[in-house]
Amino acid sequence: MDRVIEEASQGALQIKEAADRFISNVNKVIVGKKEAIELVLVALLCEGHVLIEDVPGIGKTMLAKATAKSLECSFKRVQCTPDLLPSDVTGIHYFNQKTSEFEFRPGPIMANILLVDEINRATPRTQSCLLECMQEQQVTVDLETVPLPRPFLVIATQNPVELEGTFPLPEAQLDRFLLRVKLGYPSEDEEGAILSRFQQENPLDNLTSVIEAKELLELQKLCRQVYIENSVRNYIITITRSTRSHQGIELGASPRASLGLHLASQALAVIRGRNYVIPDDVKYLAVPTLAHRLIPKTESRLRGQSVEKIVGEIVSTVPVPVEEKV
Amino acid sequence: MKLDWCRGILYVTIMGMESCWLYALIALLNKQVAGGHLSTLGLLLLYPLAFGFNKLIQQLRWPQVGLRSTSWLAWAVGMLLMMKTQMYSGAALSDPAWLMALPQAIAEVLYTFKPELIILVSSAVMWWLGRRLAHIRINFATSVSEFQFGLAILLITFFVTSQLRVDLADSVPIALIFFVFALLGISIAHAQESTSWLSGLYQGHWSGLLLVSIGLILILGLLISSVVTPDLLKLILAALKWVWGLIIKVIAFIASLFPEPEPGKLPPMPPMPEMKPEETFKLWTMPESLRSGLGLGLGIMWLGLILIALWRVSSQIFGWLRHKLASMAGAEVEPLPGAFRADFLSLLKRILLKLLRVRLPFQLRGKSVSILPEVASIKQIYRQLLRWAAAGGLPRRKYQTPYEYLYTLVDLLPQAQEDLNFITQQYVATRYGTSLPNEDALHQSRQSLQRIRQNRLKRMTNEYANA
Repeated sequence: MDRVIEEASQGALQIKEAADRFISNVNKVIVGKKEAIELVLVALLCEGHVLIEDVPGIGKTMLAKATAKSLECSFKRVQCTPDLLPSDVTGIHYFNQKTSEFEFRPGPIMANILLVDEINRATPRTQSCLLECMQEQQVTVDLETVPLPRPFLVIATQNPVELEGTFPLPEAQLDRFLLRVKLGYPSEDEEGAILSRFQQENPLDNLTSVIEAKELLELQKLCRQVYIENSVRNYIITITRSTRSHQGIELGASPRASLGLHLASQALAVIRGRNYVIPDDVKYLAVPTLAHRLIPKTESRLRGQSVEKIVGEIVSTVPVPVEEKV
Repeated sequence: MKLDWCRGILYVTIMGMESCWLYALIALLNKQVAGGHLSTLGLLLLYPLAFGFNKLIQQLRWPQVGLRSTSWLAWAVGMLLMMKTQMYSGAALSDPAWLMALPQAIAEVLYTFKPELIILVSSAVMWWLGRRLAHIRINFATSVSEFQFGLAILLITFFVTSQLRVDLADSVPIALIFFVFALLGISIAHAQESTSWLSGLYQGHWSGLLLVSIGLILILGLLISSVVTPDLLKLILAALKWVWGLIIKVIAFIASLFPEPEPGKLPPMPPMPEMKPEETFKLWTMPESLRSGLGLGLGIMWLGLILIALWRVSSQIFGWLRHKLASMAGAEVEPLPGAFRADFLSLLKRILLKLLRVRLPFQLRGKSVSILPEVASIKQIYRQLLRWAAAGGLPRRKYQTPYEYLYTLVDLLPQAQEDLNFITQQYVATRYGTSLPNEDALHQSRQSLQRIRQNRLKRMTNEYANA
């Protein structure tokens, strides 16, 4: 037992060190937004996918590209448009006239990091081709199933404001994203720093990788060893179950959401230098992990109650596991 | 006071308390069974020896089985020496005659009460107690539990002594010494945990206050013993008799007010048929062995009932004391829910489990969930912090995590930020993590709690209200 704890502590130190490297590297491009970078790293460590959602010009694509460049992994980009076809993403079998055989030409999906820009501009048909890839890390083309390279991470961006010519993501698709990250506008000082940083050149061009693919796989394994106490695990379950019985919610969080919150809490704990999860980690991650998976009732929408607000309300009513007998 | 010194004194106090009731018990058995021929103090010598020996071999990094075997081997040697010195002191050590006589005497022990039985059983009990003392970690709860248990044993011993009309001349000094050790041990354990009001508001004077408390209790005891004399008791008894007689007279007077029914003439009795004297017939005669067994069972039942009654009475007294102390200004009563009961139940459970394990070795291999003392201590400290803050009008909300609550507390009490932070960190790491706080961290947490408590709660509440 002691040996396991010691190994877990060493693993935690290793992840913390890698996390610091990653955050400082991405910070060279993205000014401020440490929380957003941290959340992207959480998804990376959990082998989950991230949906970055915000208004145009905030730095969504920049964050995705900086993340990709910080990792020494293969990177591909798909710019979603209404005429994008599933085969444009997954790949196709084409007839090679030289060999007189059908050969498979892989699409951009065959990469470690896939940036799906403006995902809601693709048709539901194309969006759905990502379902199998995101959950099972494999792609089936013409009855042939091909495993995707590991690690595999989808970073998707979407604009929630401009809805003309867009197709809202279906629930099944949203549920496959571990986290939804919102960047928000920078502060005055941060905006000033952005201007001065981008005055001469784009810092993204000079960004180097700080984590190798092999190291990332190892970190992902170590991350799962982070200790989570039973009462904290029950706390996660209570929160997700509460979303299913809340008056303002039509469709609550799935067991996949519980699992996601569990894994994300482990990753956040270790990024913050601990080899155990505390209720604060769960609380912090509740909105980014759960909010995008819930469907609010029409009454709630009419009352102007956002899903984030409802999740916050749930979190502020579920008792935290602390010593009860005072 | 240094920690090592405190620990040493705590060992002495527990040893003193246990020695008192052991002495009373052995003295009673000695007078009743051995006619007072055995040396009670000589027998009692085995107890500190057991403690010292077990503490010594604890330093050796042997496996548990080896340590246990060595310890009980040493007990056998000690017991033999005790038999030799107490029972066969006339024979030379090299004389095999006493060794030959010993097995015979021990065999007889099984069905008769003999002095050898006292030596055998008391030496085993003392060795076990000494071994236990060498292994346990003494804290406030242990001291209180020892006090409760010792008090119960002493009361039973004195009760049996009075029933058997055995003259136990040392009973008063024994009781006094027992209370002195108990009071000293409990006070030091409480002060060491830095949780008592002595170490809070009156820090620096606690040793003086302790001595004053002991002195006051002794003076009170002497006053009571001088006032409550047999003459006074007789007077009270006479007064009670007079009151009872008065009540009887009143009842008789009230009864005389009602007319008595006139006795009517009864019809003559019909002649009884002549009956042949029947032969006495008994369905079943209880065998003597069963009768004695039932008698023993009845005795055990009575003893159990007495123990339960004593436990209830002592619980009531403790409850009353807690209630009284809780209403005192500046004093804080620490809950010790069922310390004696928990110990007693865990002892019964252990015995039962051991018995069942002997019979069903393949069925009872379940995991036992136990809380480590370090974890219990840090949780206790955090609970005390919560209680203190709640008393100051700032209870933790159910949805608040320890760190969220910490920020709330720090907002109101910025001067205690470091201490609040330290306690919260220690608690969080222990509660949700896998690490255990070391002795230094525990000590520092207690010190931090003590410093936090020195802040006035009312002032804190006012500041909160103003904010």
